[in-house]
Amino acid sequence: MTNILVVADIKQGVLKGSTAELLSKARALGASTATVAVGSNIAGLASQLAAAGSDTQYIVDDPSLEIFSAKPFAEAVVKAAREFNADMVWFGFSESGKAAAPRVAVQLEAACANEITDAAIDGDTVHIVRPAIANKVLQKVKINAPKLVAVVRAGAFEADPEIAGKENVVTLDPPEKDMKAVVRELISDASGEIDLADADIVVSVGRGAKDKAGVDLVKGLAEDLAAGFGSSRAMVDAGFMAHNKQVGQTGKIVAPSLYIAVGISGAIQHLAGMNGSKVILAVNKDPEAPIFNVADFGIVGDLFDVIPLLKEEIKKIRA
Amino acid sequence: MKILTTVKKVVDVELNIHVENGAIVEKGLQYVINAWDENAVEAAVQINESHKAETTLVTLGSGDHTDIIRKCYAMGIDNGIHIDDPALEKADSATFAKVIQKIYEAGDYSLVITGKQAQDTDAGQAGIMLGEFLEIPCVSNVIEIKVIDDTHIQVSRLGDAGTEIVDVTLPAVVTVSDSINEPRLPAMRGIMMAKKKKITVMDLAGLGTSFEEVGGTALKSEVTAFMAQEKRKGGQKFEGDPAEVTAKVVQLLVNEAKVL
Ligand SMILES: Cc1cc2nc3c(=O)[nH]c(=O)nc-3n(C[C@H](O)[C@H](O)[C@H](O)COP(=O)(O)OP(=O)(O)OC[C@H]3O[C@@H](n4cnc5c(N)ncnc54)[C@H](O)[C@@H]3O)c2cc1C
Ligand SMILES: Nc1ncnc2c1ncn2[C@@H]1O[C@H](COP(=O)(O)O)[C@@H](O)[C@H]1O
Repeated sequence: MTNILVVADIKQGVLKGSTAELLSKARALGASTATVAVGSNIAGLASQLAAAGSDTQYIVDDPSLEIFSAKPFAEAVVKAAREFNADMVWFGFSESGKAAAPRVAVQLEAACANEITDAAIDGDTVHIVRPAIANKVLQKVKINAPKLVAVVRAGAFEADPEIAGKENVVTLDPPEKDMKAVVRELISDASGEIDLADADIVVSVGRGAKDKAGVDLVKGLAEDLAAGFGSSRAMVDAGFMAHNKQVGQTGKIVAPSLYIAVGISGAIQHLAGMNGSKVILAVNKDPEAPIFNVADFGIVGDLFDVIPLLKEEIKKIRA
Repeated sequence: MKILTTVKKVVDVELNIHVENGAIVEKGLQYVINAWDENAVEAAVQINESHKAETTLVTLGSGDHTDIIRKCYAMGIDNGIHIDDPALEKADSATFAKVIQKIYEAGDYSLVITGKQAQDTDAGQAGIMLGEFLEIPCVSNVIEIKVIDDTHIQVSRLGDAGTEIVDVTLPAVVTVSDSINEPRLPAMRGIMMAKKKKITVMDLAGLGTSFEEVGGTALKSEVTAFMAQEKRKGGQKFEGDPAEVTAKVVQLLVNEAKVL
């Protein structure tokens, strides 16, 4: 029997959907499952973690864990992995997961894989699939080590609503603080906005919007659709959009049912973050823009004409 | 302060990549410096400019690497080491990290700057594992480095909840995001000077190690096949009167794609 430990993805005290997705996949593989939740004031999440599909919940709850710090976070996960005798440790797609996974892998002497999109157990051997080379190819990887630590790519697995685990809470001692890399401050992202990773529709703005007025115009469309509002790197570099709004290889990976790219050329690093979307609509004045090669629907035109019209049409159908 | 930056020679991701029979077709590929490592080099050179540091790059891989080393020299890197060994063709991030550990231990470095990931593996592991192997602090996904004094830096990293400001005691490893800087285009003078500079080349034995010692003969995982990504096809593209075209597309999104 394979033991899979899923690291709970918690953001601002809220359990993200990816945790249930990973647990559903683990159960579908026939594994026994546990979760580890690391943070401050999170003990209350245990029943949600059980409902999400775990049969044991390791809780590492301490005020010192309020702000993310990679070393103690990884140590807490290692502790839970040892307690559970985990064969695999899975992180949801997150910066904390990407920072912790290689540390956990070294400590457990495990193989390490980033952005896996599939996992299969074949007798004693685990095989995974993951993208590489800027998401241009997929790799099939055979795991030789007895253990695997992996970060699962956003949107790779689906949650099965039928699945539920049972509550069995194990409290673990908090790890020590990292005195050599002390997080002195967290400059929080604006709260209250729709998380790109959760949004069913994402509207993203690119350099074509030019300036603040253009960004506000596109943001208006996102608001009308109750969509997440994302960005290409160009608009982040220009200071119009926050870092956490960047979609792409160095930003968020999104797979909404509808992705609307406005004034975005479609560089490979941008495509790597959104080409898993179900339907893509692109608005661009250049008929040759590479974004049209991946868009299901394309409007060739000036966004300053098209976006107001799009807003009007949407108002009509929503009325 | 002595700074070590790691630079990998990788496939150019802007070109098409073809897969045949489970392998990547070599023909037509070009090799360049990993984009994130250019950011690492730029960060090291900037620290040298503001705080006087000695900057050394290390690149691991078999075959000629003079082109990328000279490019880094032209950007302002002082010394270059190339570990040239055919065995490294089979290495993974953990193995490369072990080799970099050897280089680190042979020098007197207080800061290692790596890219956040290599654009061929997209693994994002070597820098963080290096920190673990050396048991020194590592901060990943860094977008700013401020030197405080010879033994302290303050870095900003992009995390899930926002930007984390971290006080780091040196020696340490930092892995950088492309948001940290805009790598400079080398000036003519730099390019000319770079041609004259010495490059230290050695194999694993020359470094006092072997492929076995760095874990290369017992890889924890191995790629068994490459597969082509399912290609998205461009769909319907509309040009013409903006009002008509927009109305048409919204109808399609509602009735055909059923996503509105
Ligand atoms: C290592 C690395 C990592 C990167 N990671 C990311 C990443 O995570 N995310 C990301 O997005 N980028 C990333 N990039 C940058 C990427 O390569 C592109 O530079 C960037 O995506 C371009 O942004 P853009 O499409 O907004 O701008 P541009 O490429 O300048 O495109 C602007 C588009 O707007 C169109 N346009 C102009 N005016 C109008 C108008 N009035 N109406 C309609 N259309 C108009 C133009 O035709 C053009 O197609 C990365 C690059 C590197 C090297
Ligand atoms: N062969 C190599 N030579 C030099 N640096 C490397 C090598 N492999 C990895 N690195 C460094 O480690 C980073 C992360 O690599 P990876 O774990 O493959 O994503 C890269 O951005 C490089 O800075």
